[in-house]
Order: sequence, then C-alpha cells, then structure tokens
Amino acid sequence: MSHVSALPRPDAASKVDAFLELRGIHKRFGGVHALRGVGFTIEPGEAYHLLGENGCGKSTVIKIMSGAHAPDEGEIVLEGKVYHSLTAIQSLSAGIETVYQDLSLLPNLTVAENVALNEQLVASGGRLARLFDRTRLRETAAAALATVGLPSDRGFLGTIVSDLPLAQRQLVAIARAIATKAKMVIMDEPTTSLTRREVDNLINVVERLRSEGVAVLFVTHKLDECYRIGGHAIVFRDGQCVEQGPLANYTKQRLAELMTGRRIDAERYRTGAPMDGELFAANGLSLPPNVRDVSFSVRKGEILGITGLADSGRNELAMAIAGVMPATGGSVRIDGKVEKVRHPSGAIRLGIGYVPEDRLAEGLFLDKSIFENEIALVVRDLANGFGVVDKAKGRALADKLSQDMRLNTRNLDLPVGALSGGNQQRVLIGRWLSILPKLLVLHGPTVGVDVGSKDTIYRVIQQLAEAGMGLVIVSDDLPELLQNCDRILVMNNGRVVAEYDARETDEDQLYKAMLVSKPAVNTETAR
Amino acid sequence: MSATHLTESAAVPVARPNSLLALVRRRPELITLALLVAICVAVSIINPAFLQPSSLVDIGRASVVMGLFALGVFIILAAGGIDVSFTAIAAFTMYSMTLLVKNHWPDAPIALVLVAATAGGALLGVVNGLLVHYLKVPSLIVTIGTQYLFRGILLAFIGTVWIMSLPPTMGAFGRLPLFQFESADGRTITLPFYFLVLPAAALVTWWMLNRTLMGRAIFAIGGNANVAERLGYSLRTIHIFMFAYAGALAGLAGIIHTAANRQSNPFDLVGTEINVIAAVVLGGARITGGTGTVIGTLLGVLLVVVVNSVLVMVGIPSTWQRVVVGGFILLAAAFFVFCQKKN
Repeated sequence: MSHVSALPRPDAASKVDAFLELRGIHKRFGGVHALRGVGFTIEPGEAYHLLGENGCGKSTVIKIMSGAHAPDEGEIVLEGKVYHSLTAIQSLSAGIETVYQDLSLLPNLTVAENVALNEQLVASGGRLARLFDRTRLRETAAAALATVGLPSDRGFLGTIVSDLPLAQRQLVAIARAIATKAKMVIMDEPTTSLTRREVDNLINVVERLRSEGVAVLFVTHKLDECYRIGGHAIVFRDGQCVEQGPLANYTKQRLAELMTGRRIDAERYRTGAPMDGELFAANGLSLPPNVRDVSFSVRKGEILGITGLADSGRNELAMAIAGVMPATGGSVRIDGKVEKVRHPSGAIRLGIGYVPEDRLAEGLFLDKSIFENEIALVVRDLANGFGVVDKAKGRALADKLSQDMRLNTRNLDLPVGALSGGNQQRVLIGRWLSILPKLLVLHGPTVGVDVGSKDTIYRVIQQLAEAGMGLVIVSDDLPELLQNCDRILVMNNGRVVAEYDARETDEDQLYKAMLVSKPAVNTETAR
Repeated sequence: MSATHLTESAAVPVARPNSLLALVRRRPELITLALLVAICVAVSIINPAFLQPSSLVDIGRASVVMGLFALGVFIILAAGGIDVSFTAIAAFTMYSMTLLVKNHWPDAPIALVLVAATAGGALLGVVNGLLVHYLKVPSLIVTIGTQYLFRGILLAFIGTVWIMSLPPTMGAFGRLPLFQFESADGRTITLPFYFLVLPAAALVTWWMLNRTLMGRAIFAIGGNANVAERLGYSLRTIHIFMFAYAGALAGLAGIIHTAANRQSNPFDLVGTEINVIAAVVLGGARITGGTGTVIGTLLGVLLVVVVNSVLVMVGIPSTWQRVVVGGFILLAAAFFVFCQKKN
C-alpha cells in the first residue's frame, strides 16, 4: 500500500529538528477536493491547534498523518524520511498516536486491552503470530491510566469499555495514546465530554508530554482551551491552510474570522424579551437518582438555559421533559393543562420538541436524504387516505425548513451523512420546526459544531423566540447560554440550585454554582 | 437510543460487583451451565438411568464433532462474522479424503490422514477468508455461497456413492478405545480415543484466543472492524486466518465423523449448521460478535447434545428436541438482553 522512497532526500534535512512535515498535500474523494495543497511542520515538544470549521479538511489531514488515507499528491516527511503515504502501522511505529473524535475504542475489550494492546501490536510491527504479554499489558495500562487520572486497580483494568460512562471512555482513549512512547499525539476534540476538572488534568498531561519532547496537535472548537494550552495555531479553510503562527498573535475574534472567512459577532445574541403568560411549567419532576423535584416555568418567547456538571442531572432532566426517559414523579403544565409525559410521542403531541445531544445516535438517519430527514415527524400528516406521501407538499416543506435553517446546500437529496456537523444539526432542528412545537428543548445544540454554524443556529434560536416559541437550552457551553438565554438555571446533584438573569451573571458565577454545596467526592464523574 | 446517555450519570461503572446480574452479564455462560445442571438434575430424578456412566460416555462421544464445529463457528462469531459453510467443508474433506485413501493408499497412517484432512479444510477456509476480505461481502452471504459451491463440487465431480467400508486405518481409529468397561447390563461401553481431539482442540483454541495477539485481534475486529483497522490490525491476515482455522476444525471434524460412523456419506452433515450456531449462541457468544468464551461454547454444545439425548430418556419424543432447543435459545437471548438493559 505504501510507497516509500528508499532514501532520505537531501532537501529533507533543511529542517533537521522537525518531527513531521506535510508538503503540498492534496486529497480528493470523488468530486470533492478535500485538501488543496496543505502543508505544515510539527516540531518536537510543541503544541499545535488545528482550527477550522467542520468540513474544512481537518479530519482528512489527521487521517493522512495516522495512515488511514493516502494523499493523492504531496509528500510526508517523517523524521527526515520522505513518504508519499503512510500505513497505520508505519505511522504508529514512528510514534504518531491519535485520539479520535469517535474515540475508536473497542467496546467489547477491557480497559487494559484498549489502552495497552496496541503497544504490543506496534512492537511486533503489526504481525499477529505473537504471544501477548499480559503482565506487560497490565503494567503499561496502569501507568497510562494513572497519568490521565483514572483508577489503575485490577478491577478497573478488567472493566469492559462499553460499561464505562462517556467521559471515562474519552480518558481511556487518551490513555491509549500516551501508553506508548509517542512522539506526537493528535487529539481530535478530546474534551467534548469531560468536566472542567478532567480538562484541567488533561492540560497537565499535555504539559508533561511537551516537557518530554512530545508534540501535541489539537483539533478543537473550544478556543478558550487553546489559549490555556498555548502554542501554535494552524487555521484551515476549505481544504487550505490559510494561516499559521503563534496562538498569542491572534485574538479569538480574529481566529473565528480566519476560520469562517467572515466576521463573527461575539456579542449577546439575545436582544428580545419574553412575552407575558406562562407557556410551560415543570412541577416537581423527578427521575431518581438523577433528577429530584425540579420545578421551573418558561414563558412564551422565553429562552431558558439549564446547565450543570455532566452528572448534575441536566441531561436526564432534558430527556425527562421530552419523554425520552420519562419522569417517575411530577408533572408538566403546558398551556394551562397538567400532563404527564410518558413517551416521546406524548411530548410531540403536547407540542414539545427535543433536539438530542447525540444527533448521530439519536436524531438523524445518516444514510437518508435531507428531505426524508426533514419530513420524518410529519410524514403521517403528509400522507393521504391510502398512506401515500404527498411528495410535492413534503418537498415544499423541506425546502422552506432548510431555507429557514440556512443549510449550505440546495440539494435536498443528499444523504445527511455527507453534511458537516453544523449542517446536520441544522437539519435536525429544522425537522422539529416542522411540527411547530410550542416548546423546543435543545440539548447541547452546538456540540461539535463549527463557529459559522453556531452563529446560524443562535440566530435561528432567537428568531424562534421572537415568534413566541419557548426554548430550553441544556448545555455546558456557558458562553452559549450567556449569549442566548433570558434566565439560566444551574443544576447540582439532581436539583436546581441557582437561577440567574443571564444579563447579570458571568461564567465564574455559574461555574461556582455548579460546584457549590457538592461533596468533594462527587465532583468528578471519573472517580 | 445510545447507551452513553443512560450511563453518563452512573458515575461508578462497576457499581454492583456483587450483583448476580452483573456477574451473569460478564459471564453469560453461567446461565448455560445453570440450564445444563438443571436439566441433568431433573432428568436424573425422573429417570435415574441417566446417571449411569454409559450415558455420560454417549454424551461425550456425541459432542466431539459438534464441539469441533462449534469452536470454529465461535471464532468466526467472535470476529463479528458468521460461517455456514463449515459442514460443506467437512463433508468435502471427509469424503474426498476417504476416497483418496481407499483408492490410492489404503494403509496410510491415520496421523497423516488427520493432518491432510485438517489442511484440506484449512485450504477451503482460506477461500472463504479471501472472498470475505476482497469481495467485502458479509460473511453470511459468502459462506452460503461457498456452502453450495463446495457441496456442489463434491457431488458433481467427486462422487455421490456412500463408502460403506472404510480404509483399515481409518476404521481402526474409529474403534480405538480410550477406555472400556462393562455396564451393569453387560454391554461393553467404550469411550473412543478420538474423544480426546475435542479437549485438545478446545485447549489450543483457548490458548490462541487468549494468549496470542491474533486471538486478541479476532475479538478486536469483532468489536469494531473499522477501528481495529485504524489501530493497525491487518484485516486481511485476520480474515484469512480465522476462516482457515474454522475450516481446519471442520476438516478434522469431518474425518472424525467418518471414522466414528464407519462410513462416508457425501450427503451427510450439511443441514446441521443451525444446530451448531445455536449451540454457540447458547454458550453466550453474541451473534453480533466480539464476545464469548471457549468454555461457554463447550457448555452450549453439551447443552444441545444433552437435550437431544435425554429427552428420549424421560419419554419425550425426539421430535420435541427442536421445540426445547428453540425455547432455550429464545429464553437465553431474552435473558442476555434483559441483563444488558438492567445495566
């Protein structure tokens, strides 16, 4: 598969200290020109932040470095040797470790095997006719797990990965990357499901790796984290590298502009105000042990934010409102009528829409077209007496929804799986608009969504509120809540512990409320 | 619905290490064992004759061929595939091997015959592996195809005539006793020597799965083949190896089947695949891949063999076997799903 030129070329020595250099990399997938002559250099012990909107070619370039894709043109200079492409084993043997966005864990194997088996595979050069050393497996795994702050006892080592909560899986994936003698660690959105303390720990790990001469390449949408880590920015746009340089040279605003090619407003999106009259009220909703006796109300045209740590019960509350995980106690009142939501279809009947956090697993039919995804909720209304769907009517509706949601394609027959994360999220929100909900619950509406799409989604949210819809945003993205909401509720240990006017609070205050009154033992999901 | 949401809040993953449910979830073969023990106890109460050594020997003898098949099926299942061609491979190798030995070298040493049959089975398995890998077609479809192919070639080109008298060495191997004793009613009970092949194969399979990188690789691709490939596992090597291994076991099982029955019938074996796959699934291996144990597989085989042989002893017509096995499969599957949901 790989085409290795036998000898290092003299010109490769121009930058002796570079660990990896990409030169003029092109990659096409069918008609899509994903990378158009990308080049950058990775030096030992440095931190890099690969920034760009979804679909700009970040994932492709990572796959080229990790050996999953072969570039069409260009060359890869790895420790002075020139390659046209790498295999997975070549890349791993050279010390390039990747923490994939999807984590790439083997769900049926134990924690120890996930963390440390690859070290032995790489040591054998990918050959499988080898004994595997269980003592070494445990030792390597225990050391790596301790580094990322996970337990390293035998019980944990032997746990099957699919039994772990998401945050711990993410840490296990990071532990695998540092279990070997890596020279470069690529992390594709490594902090999406981590709590703040786990992120702090990860940043310490990164510091340590750098002090040991390991280069670290981050791919993230969280610019705040980039600044905390420091290092270099590499900005991609439309498959090209548009800017490189020390992160300190750019403001957040400037980076966002570079990524999108347009000016992004970091101001508060919320300009309107709620209307009079209660739209929705939750009355003592309970779902032990995660949600305990939660009551709140939403007015027409109001945007309510709900936040909390990952284990605070915010996720369960969102799912309880939508009937995905029906509440065991309490009731909701919508338009004055007291109801219980026992099933998602019940919520839909009451006019409650729910955009789930995990759009891939819970929301979208990836291999179906945009059109089919958009009309999924109203397909029965579009059908005539014989159950035949009125396609023209559906088309018109899907067309309108995708325009409202400012999808970047007019071709509604494209499969949703072909869209970027931001556009997928817009399709999902658009689908819910098709039933004209009275209350829309948005669960992590911009997780894994690029800056440009975030902007669009926020503008749509504001328009919906202007039109009188009530919105609940459940999120751990505090700036998002501050920019969009009227009020913000903070959950802690299953209860609402604080309520703030979004104009009069800030991230610090919210974060303190998230942690306050919480026994120290329980502050982290990971331990 | 994704499990991630449901587990995200469960801060401690192994919260109930003492819970019976958690234990069963990690070791589903315990259910198989419990079922097996329950049946044996029930049958011995109804008909104490069951506890006689002779019936145990019968069960042992009847487990060998199915057990060898099951080990092969288990490996393919563990890797996330499925194989229905193994009976055709067994029939092909046993019949052509018998014919070859009978016509050309009647005194061939049995060790050589066994090795040759194993190698022949492995070769046919390699065909499966190559097709699965290069056609990128699900292994169920590929092996349905090769089952017809192998069987068709056997019947069209090699022969359709039953071989009623085996070459002497093969016949002798089938009769060679491991131990013999007289039962209460004066019959001579023999546990044949070939019985040893099953524990030996199980041991080798266990060792391969648990002590070599290949074994871990098989489970890895059963967990998620794309991820495994990304991590540097060579899917080609694994596919070819695992189908060759399953083919080798099938070839060996075929020749033992012939030796044990003292005849070689080219129409034999094909049609029993589902029985074997059922045994493996009853042993706790998930049909979706990535799980299971060798012990569980053997327990599953024992369960099916015991059900098949004891129903007669307690006066249930043998036609009811299928109803019972079918019921067990549904029960076991429902229980495994129940355990997972609870978690």
